[in-house]
Amino acid sequence: MRTVQFILAALISLTPFQPALRAQAAAPEAAPKSGPPIEVRFQEYKLKNGLRVILSEDHAAPTYSLCITYNVGSRDEPPGRTGFAHLFEHMMFQGSANVGKGEHSILISNNGGSSNGTTNPDRTNYYETLPANQLELGLFLEADRMRSLTISQANFDNQRLTVQEERRQNYDNRAYGKTYEAIIDAAYDNFAYKHSAIGSMEDLNRAAVKDAAEFFKRYYAPNNAVLSLVGDFKSEAALALIKKYFEAIPAQPSSAAPDVTEPEQKGERRRTIEDAFAQTPRIDMVYKAPAGNTTDWYALDVLGDILAPSMSSRLYRKLVKEKEIAVSVSAGPWEQRGPSLFEISVMARSNENVPEIEKIVYEELERVKSEPVSDWELEKVRKQSEHHRVESLYSTRSRVTLLGSYAVYYNDPGLINTIQSKVARVTKDDLQRVARTYLKETNRTVVITLPKPKSAPVSTDGK
Amino acid sequence: MTRRRTPCQALRTAVVALVFLGAATFPPLRVSGQESTATPLSQIERKNKAPVSRDVLSVKIPKAFETRLKNGLAVLIVEDHRFPAVHVELHLRAAGALFEPSKSPGLASATAQMLREGTQTRTSEQIAEEIEKLGATLSASAGFGSPETVLGASGLSSNFDSWFAAATDVLLHPSFPAEELAKLKQRLKVQLREQRSAAGFLSEERFRGAVFGGHPAAVVAPTLESVEALTREALARWHRERYAPADSILAVVGDVRAAELIPKLEKSLSAWQTAEVKEALPPNAAPASARKVYIVDRPNSVQTVVVLGDIAIDRRSADYIPLVVMNHLFGGSSSARLFLNLREEKGYTYGVYSSFNAGEYPGPWRVGGSMRTEVTDGALIEFFREIRRIRDEKVPEAELEQSKRSLVASFALALEQPSRTLAFALTRKIYGFPDDYWDTYPGKIMAVSADDVQRVARKYFNPETMQIVAVGDGRKIQPILEKYAAVEVYDSAGKPLRPPEKSPEKSIERAP
Repeated sequence: MRTVQFILAALISLTPFQPALRAQAAAPEAAPKSGPPIEVRFQEYKLKNGLRVILSEDHAAPTYSLCITYNVGSRDEPPGRTGFAHLFEHMMFQGSANVGKGEHSILISNNGGSSNGTTNPDRTNYYETLPANQLELGLFLEADRMRSLTISQANFDNQRLTVQEERRQNYDNRAYGKTYEAIIDAAYDNFAYKHSAIGSMEDLNRAAVKDAAEFFKRYYAPNNAVLSLVGDFKSEAALALIKKYFEAIPAQPSSAAPDVTEPEQKGERRRTIEDAFAQTPRIDMVYKAPAGNTTDWYALDVLGDILAPSMSSRLYRKLVKEKEIAVSVSAGPWEQRGPSLFEISVMARSNENVPEIEKIVYEELERVKSEPVSDWELEKVRKQSEHHRVESLYSTRSRVTLLGSYAVYYNDPGLINTIQSKVARVTKDDLQRVARTYLKETNRTVVITLPKPKSAPVSTDGK
Repeated sequence: MTRRRTPCQALRTAVVALVFLGAATFPPLRVSGQESTATPLSQIERKNKAPVSRDVLSVKIPKAFETRLKNGLAVLIVEDHRFPAVHVELHLRAAGALFEPSKSPGLASATAQMLREGTQTRTSEQIAEEIEKLGATLSASAGFGSPETVLGASGLSSNFDSWFAAATDVLLHPSFPAEELAKLKQRLKVQLREQRSAAGFLSEERFRGAVFGGHPAAVVAPTLESVEALTREALARWHRERYAPADSILAVVGDVRAAELIPKLEKSLSAWQTAEVKEALPPNAAPASARKVYIVDRPNSVQTVVVLGDIAIDRRSADYIPLVVMNHLFGGSSSARLFLNLREEKGYTYGVYSSFNAGEYPGPWRVGGSMRTEVTDGALIEFFREIRRIRDEKVPEAELEQSKRSLVASFALALEQPSRTLAFALTRKIYGFPDDYWDTYPGKIMAVSADDVQRVARKYFNPETMQIVAVGDGRKIQPILEKYAAVEVYDSAGKPLRPPEKSPEKSIERAP
């Protein structure tokens, strides 16, 4: 391994814990106007087997967070295999060569830590936060399952049941639970983002344990992962431990990235669904949008915050306060590695309000195209962004997962420091340009979720 | 903005980042156990090869700076200069929904929400614009059953004075404009409808009703009538009489200097002189005398949400610490008995947890989760099995030790976030605990014995008298639930679907 690069300056430039870093706290670009810039200092390495390592020391508390981000998500699933990446994530807690079934979680818990794993369309990650004296424990546990996961039929069947309950709890037994899948199914043409990460019940039933071993070998290789570590450790010692536990895990032939390209949309798409649990209608208007971390994506992000959901935002004022036809509204682009969606979602007061809400939303979008936004709106979004960014850096857990995601998504963990300037650079012209480019009828999908008409209440069991 | 939107955030119901453990809707704990008589840890296969440091980091929770303003307001400050931001929260401890007149549920919350809808010098729009331009946020909550209304404000430290001044104006000079109140009422009425879509709301409504009975904490939502009846005069009065500094605590964490902040607070809050209220708590709810089942028939449900429990303790109870330990190993985490049995062994559910609420007055312990309709019967059997096991069998020493170690070792993690330090200080302040309360807390946890765990399990987990709530497909689950006790059935609008069974408790056939 070698030091690949040294990025950016001082962790929290004013911290009394790292005075040595202050001198390096050069704020290269477009830092917020007020307040000192906050820089997360980190170093990068690459092990011989291709594992990318990101270390960021922070001695403010006697703790650390570790995250392994694997470059695999539901977008890698072919038709018929939906939900597999997430089901596999559950398998990662079922034991490995030197860790028994259930032992991973209990070792973390017994030593005062917390851990979890998450799967989204673009990546799968595993993280733990532990007291600083348990550094070796976390590294050992992550390395052992990367090297030697136990994949048994019994565990696979059990986790399939658990995941199916997860689906029921979060989608099938919940108001608006069908809406998300209806949106992506209607808006996307490419299967990569057209299906959900939770997957269909049918595909989950069909998932086979023999595929798990192949999936593991293909995607859970060190050269397809990023290890990020943030907290109270000495980098040199930590790196030695990382090499000890991870470097002997063999690399695998790398997999081609999935084709996620979307054809240009030629006309509006509409869908209306009935929801047995919903009590009020919801309208989702989504537009095909560029991938995350692009100039246009940041402009759409800023525009979303001008539109909703805060109390001074345009759609809140118009729909909730002035017209009183909606109760809440949100707007903005989803962050995805590939083609994204800009979504405006409105909870309406009643079914009759739906057409008017749609009309007003489109009028407001036309206004964005024809008139520059005001200075205070842009200033508001920048300040809110600055505040939000500060809060996103509070915990080692948050920093470690951001570093891992940015490395896997954009090959740029330094985005944790530069993102603020990308938001601050968005101009009024940018907002008009992206509104005209993306927020147009032919690029739009509308999904309306209506409460299912109720039959008259009947007492149970006929009494 | 840097807020990363995921579909999960943008769509309030869709979950796109799927997590292994999910969000615990119940406060946590953990175990093993398949069969009730099995060795408790049998489901965990121990290879004991992982390198574990035997030491438990002994950490000392920092003390908050503490003072009282001339108007009687208690102030807690935790300085944290790592990040250029500040969070302030005002705990108005005589203004909670707990103290609302019984005919006015929602008064406290409406008052809090209306603060930012107009002051003597600012309109609703001006307040929103001014606060948001500074990148700051305001929040207000007055949860049902709570003795307090909590107002929050967060922002950057670089413009703290500006947003704090706006927040102070909202606190001290609200005008409760009639037009804005009319709009709020409309929104509240839609929310009354909307909340009934969630199985979790329906189970909470029924469970709190069951365990609290006539206690005001039984209330979980306003009614159409109480929303209709809100007037600006009533709100203004609630604010004028109940927002009293001497009953309240201002808690501040972040990039501020206490020595600089205190004079500012004295100045900006000196006009706030409302007389102390010293509200007495309502008479405590008592545990039930008989087991009873409440079903909420929620058509089209594919899962049953089950909650079992009853009234237990308040926060000052001597049983608090043994209950923390008992809950932790019973159902408080994903390493607890419930989780390992019902999820990892049986595959009935995405997650099951136990918890207990201990505040100013005795609140309930509870056990519960969501499971597919078809295994409602099996899940209930396991709930009862685990409850009986923790009562009947002394917890093995190894399981107890690991649970206590987990609780104590996790203290180190609290040091990462100064907001946790503030929360510790608030707890100490609210309940009048001694200065060294958190210093001695780990030692008290470690002193809990297997006998203590069994004693509190037997004292509070009473399978014969606990209340059972199930929200799901009424037609399918009623025959199952009827095996446990007399059943009352409600619809998802909250209305009884038929009169309660008349059969006396004693004649009821008991299931497990």
